Amino acid sequence: MLSTRDLAVGYDDRTVIDGLDVDLPADAFTVIVGPNACGKSTLLRTMARLLTPRRGTVLLDGAAIRDLPTRAVARRLGVLPQSPLVPEGVTVADLVGRGRQPYQRWWRQWSPEDEAAVREAMVLADVDSLADRAVDTLSGGQRQRVWIAMTLAQDTEALLLDEPTTFLDLAHQVEVLDLLHRLRVERNRTVVAVLHDLNQAARYADHLIAMRAGAVVAAGPPREILTVDLVRDVFGLDCVVVPCPVTGAPLVVPSLTSPSLTKGSPCAAESSPFSPSPPSVPAA
Amino acid sequence: MTVLPVGRTLVRLGPVRLVVRHRPIVVGGILALLLAAVGVLSLSLGTPYVAPGDVLRSLTGAGTPYDLVVLDLRLPRLVLAAAVGAVFGIAGTLIQTVARNPLASPDVVGITQGAGLAATVALTGGAAASLIAPAALAGGLAAAVVVLLLGLRHGLAAHRFVLAGVAVAVALRALTEVVMLSADPVDGIRAQLWLVGTLAGKGWREAGYLGLTLLVLLPVLLWAGWALNGSALDDDTARGVGLRPVARRVGLATTGVLAAAMVTAQVGAVDFVALVAPQVARRLVRAERPPLLCAALVGAVLVVLADLAGRRLFAPTQLPAGVLTAAFGGPYLIYLLLRGRRKVS
Repeated sequence: MLSTRDLAVGYDDRTVIDGLDVDLPADAFTVIVGPNACGKSTLLRTMARLLTPRRGTVLLDGAAIRDLPTRAVARRLGVLPQSPLVPEGVTVADLVGRGRQPYQRWWRQWSPEDEAAVREAMVLADVDSLADRAVDTLSGGQRQRVWIAMTLAQDTEALLLDEPTTFLDLAHQVEVLDLLHRLRVERNRTVVAVLHDLNQAARYADHLIAMRAGAVVAAGPPREILTVDLVRDVFGLDCVVVPCPVTGAPLVVPSLTSPSLTKGSPCAAESSPFSPSPPSVPAA
Repeated sequence: MTVLPVGRTLVRLGPVRLVVRHRPIVVGGILALLLAAVGVLSLSLGTPYVAPGDVLRSLTGAGTPYDLVVLDLRLPRLVLAAAVGAVFGIAGTLIQTVARNPLASPDVVGITQGAGLAATVALTGGAAASLIAPAALAGGLAAAVVVLLLGLRHGLAAHRFVLAGVAVAVALRALTEVVMLSADPVDGIRAQLWLVGTLAGKGWREAGYLGLTLLVLLPVLLWAGWALNGSALDDDTARGVGLRPVARRVGLATTGVLAAAMVTAQVGAVDFVALVAPQVARRLVRAERPPLLCAALVGAVLVVLADLAGRRLFAPTQLPAGVLTAAFGGPYLIYLLLRGRRKVS
């Protein structure tokens, strides 16, 4: 549903992306991965029309996004920036309610649809019990669910999230990603996220995009594209790829750079880069 | 049960649906009563003293021996004081919200200095008295245009707006000093007096201009009240929900500096009202941003009080209202600093 054609984006005199064509499938959970400063956040922010490209276009269902009124875009595309500023003293219900902005005018500030959408978003993100709390008093994980609830209240087909799990502990990371997975499966939303953790990307993504230096190195289902070669190519890291014991998705385990890390475990030798045939998924 | 945040009610007027916050209405009502009380006090105190009962009788047209004192001498100045305070309160609210900084005000972002330089040039250049206010208005507006243009390069981001304002203010103040020092000492003192900001010798005419300003700005202010709601979000988040943060900021800042230039041109720099009123109103209302109407009322109460104190405190010597507001403002800033560490919940 979202695609870019010959996209070039940069900041001041630095070009981050030059001539990029990407297509994001509808009704899928797409995850963009890549090393720091590879342009993955820049790509996401440009697709969400938070950045203006120097050249090229972002297409939303075939229409150039910059030609669409920003309110109309906001009814189809929700975006959660990397670290949104928490307004001081604003309650959860109030903040989630601001997701209804694209449907409101000053003479039509609250409709029954607004009411229903906010309520549903808060239940979905499991923040309805926090409705009257001030957002700045919540924990990081709760706060992130509130922000997601705000974008859910926007009631859009697609949701773009820039590193939604950064600064969260592992349990809260899984909680947020499970929520996004449910949105995709139960509500047929298109979800696009930039993630740092390759294994989480492989676990949740239907479609994986690996970027390096402003270009897409590989794109497709994680089970097909996430290989030892790709990780070396994109991150410059030697690793072994094994099937995840829980999901069967590819699990990336970095190779040993120092033998002293084995802690005497007997299985360590098997997955060292010196082993003759490291197990790799897929076998192809 | 509704998911509207607590303390708000949905008001339906035909197809119009407005979300009304309870607290600003209650606080606004109390402030209006307070303003009325302070107003009556201001009309009754002085030489001669007029009993509040007689003040009310005069105001309602019942006719008392004090009609001349109350209606012709004191009322114009009271109305002007209230109007000055209200416009400063509104200007301060808009400027502080755009600057995202409780210390921003017309004298921080250069409007006051622009008006001051133009007025000083006019006063020391021997311009007719009737030209002082238009000159000051032009000066304030010119400074506002420079600040907005300088700030606009990065989308009028908060720090950019404040920095541009501070830079322009410093440059203009230096120029004003130069003009003042090189002028005839008597003219220099007249200019100094103008800069302090006083309501003495002013009345209906100035109040009329401010009333007109408010009337012209009213539709803009109705929009601003709604637009300010979205200003608490950062730019990316705001864009994400379909707002245009830069356009909003430019609109709000322009309205704010216009109002500030207009009021400064009429009465000079009544310091600190624009700074204090929005923050006092915000704390009274306990909102995440200063409420426009309450800030206007707080400003009105402050200036009426300051003018009254200036007239009576050292009577028969009259202090300009601007000196009094500045004297209140200093301690208030210290108070803000002291309680800044405690979290407002």
